[in-house]
Amino acid sequence: MHNSKAHIWFIAPAIILMIIILIFPLFLAGGISFTDYNLGNKTFDWVGLENYDKMFNRKTYVKMIWATATYVIVVVPISVVLGLCAAMLLNSLRFGADIYKTIFFLPVMATLLAMAIAWEFTLHPTLGIVNSFLANGCGGVREFILGFHWLPWVDSQESWYAVACANNMDFPYWLKQKNTAIWTVCFIGIWQAFGFNMVLYLAGLTSIPRELYQAAEMDGAKSTWEQFKLVTWPMLGPTTLFVVTITTIRTFQVFDTIEILTKGGPSKTTYVMMYAIFEKAIQQNLTSIGAAITVVFIGFILVLTFFQRYVIEKRVHY
Amino acid sequence: MGTISLKNISKSFGSTQVLNNLNVDINDGEFLTLVGPSGCGKSTLLRIIAGLEQQTSGDVLIDNKNVNRVRASERDLAMVFQSYALYPHLTVRRNLETPLRLRDYNAFERLPLIGNFSPSKKEKTESINQLVNKTSETLKISELLDRKPGQLSGGQRQRVALGRAMVREPVAFLMDEPLSNLDAALRVHMRSELSELHNSLKTTFVYVTHDQAEALTMSSRMAVMIDGNLLQLDTPQEVYDNPSSLSVAQFVGSPKINIFKGTADSSGTVSFLNVNLKRKSSESNTDLHIGIRPEHLEITNESNENTFSGTVAYRENLGSDIFFHVNIEDGSNKIIVRGLPQLTHQISNGSSVNIKRVSDKALLFNQAGMRVQFTNA
Repeated sequence: MHNSKAHIWFIAPAIILMIIILIFPLFLAGGISFTDYNLGNKTFDWVGLENYDKMFNRKTYVKMIWATATYVIVVVPISVVLGLCAAMLLNSLRFGADIYKTIFFLPVMATLLAMAIAWEFTLHPTLGIVNSFLANGCGGVREFILGFHWLPWVDSQESWYAVACANNMDFPYWLKQKNTAIWTVCFIGIWQAFGFNMVLYLAGLTSIPRELYQAAEMDGAKSTWEQFKLVTWPMLGPTTLFVVTITTIRTFQVFDTIEILTKGGPSKTTYVMMYAIFEKAIQQNLTSIGAAITVVFIGFILVLTFFQRYVIEKRVHY
Repeated sequence: MGTISLKNISKSFGSTQVLNNLNVDINDGEFLTLVGPSGCGKSTLLRIIAGLEQQTSGDVLIDNKNVNRVRASERDLAMVFQSYALYPHLTVRRNLETPLRLRDYNAFERLPLIGNFSPSKKEKTESINQLVNKTSETLKISELLDRKPGQLSGGQRQRVALGRAMVREPVAFLMDEPLSNLDAALRVHMRSELSELHNSLKTTFVYVTHDQAEALTMSSRMAVMIDGNLLQLDTPQEVYDNPSSLSVAQFVGSPKINIFKGTADSSGTVSFLNVNLKRKSSESNTDLHIGIRPEHLEITNESNENTFSGTVAYRENLGSDIFFHVNIEDGSNKIIVRGLPQLTHQISNGSSVNIKRVSDKALLFNQAGMRVQFTNA
């Protein structure tokens, strides 16, 4: 019985395919990252850690890490929380939920490319609807609300809105300005991601047995907050784990908005990793440095995966 | 105190009327069972008492206070759900603590970490621990306290659900078919445990079940509901012996009561098959249903004007009793007769038998299904 080799024949195709398609490219990228190989070259030299050394010392790559980190740290929590809130609000609606679901899910279904172009128009510094909306609101209610004049410590002469109005409608150039570009890109990222999270949370919410809420009510959980703490949040644990993982990986992979809207600029403030890989390895044909960035990229994803697997999963009840 | 009064309760979901003008008074410390076939509205009635469902009209009074506008969490009732509805992510101990924590701790003390700085929290925590320990000892679940509900068997979960209801010492317990997810042996065992628990707690129990055996064995009074109507509310013995209508008689008792078609003549003499009853019906000149329970029929060797004969179609041996499913000779009825094993062991399927009834046990019902009394004369 135990001498039979049949099992090898059963698993071999899967193993071979996995090695060729998944594992080998990974090691290839790893290998290339230690050389100076460029696509098309006939020879290459081993350069050791030089590519990595560049990455962590050259300003461009440090900016790359910053841009990626900012994007992930901003987009993941906000889109997850917004997704959960939207799902709970929709879940409590008696009618009209389908319309909202469709609207919120639209950015997920639409081609990001087309959407990015629409955003580009919207955010255009002089022709865009956003800035003309702001310019028309000078001295009005829009200025009061968006300039935060309703906050007691904001001086109505000194707020960003008032200053922009006073300086000949000098509103932000959104995507073309160092201090706003990454946040604008983040905003578009959130806009795009939260609909997907909402749908996942909606599915999670429908699987919570209604009797648990009734039990919570009988036990004396009076406020919505108490019921959320006692039932909704713990029961959504597996969903949250999934949503956070998926969103993190997707935000790490952000590329199309950057390519269309900013090309990594201005002055590399939106130079995220995926775009850097594309720019180095494909556009500039610097395969080895592209490979090095890829390895670091995979490293980040692996660290996150392990963190999720061994730290967060222990706290989630299935 | 724990009295519950339901006054003219009606409930409809859209155009479907589920409960029809029900009036029930539940006494303090009583074990009242709401029993009926599924879909009769008994669970809805329980949920109306709990406050999880709002009645369309009528009043719910708990301890003589109208609680129509009081929400479920403030009615001070505890409920055991059919699915137990334990919090799957919390240990058994935390499940038991939850109702106490929500009631005893104030909002600040329930906050994580900083809540521990409240000076009164330590004392409260101790009293909660004591209550949880006491309850778990009563229910013999002390060794399960650190497990999660997913690691428990059905019976253990059932106890934990009971425990979560008990810790708080509520005005009354509401139980929605708590035994229906257990296997048959455990269900019979839990019946006696629940009765004992009721005796020791002396709190009002309102118990919903579709199983008439549970209702008969445990309750101090049972309310039989069919199609949203309360048909009879009385002690189990009285409901069994003196059902108010044909539906109640057919629902209560297992195996089912035997129904014969018969007539009452102008003098009130009731006859069915070839048998005449000695007692006279109070309604004369009418068709009647005569109900006789299986244990009030006997298999006999005699053959006279008080017996009728039939063929045994099926012999159901339960060990202590044997039930014979008998086809009556004129083909109109299939009836069930109880026989003692030692007297009837030689009777097998297909034998023909004579059946005698025990006198004074027949029940009469008119065409509308209502009970007809015998005259005293």
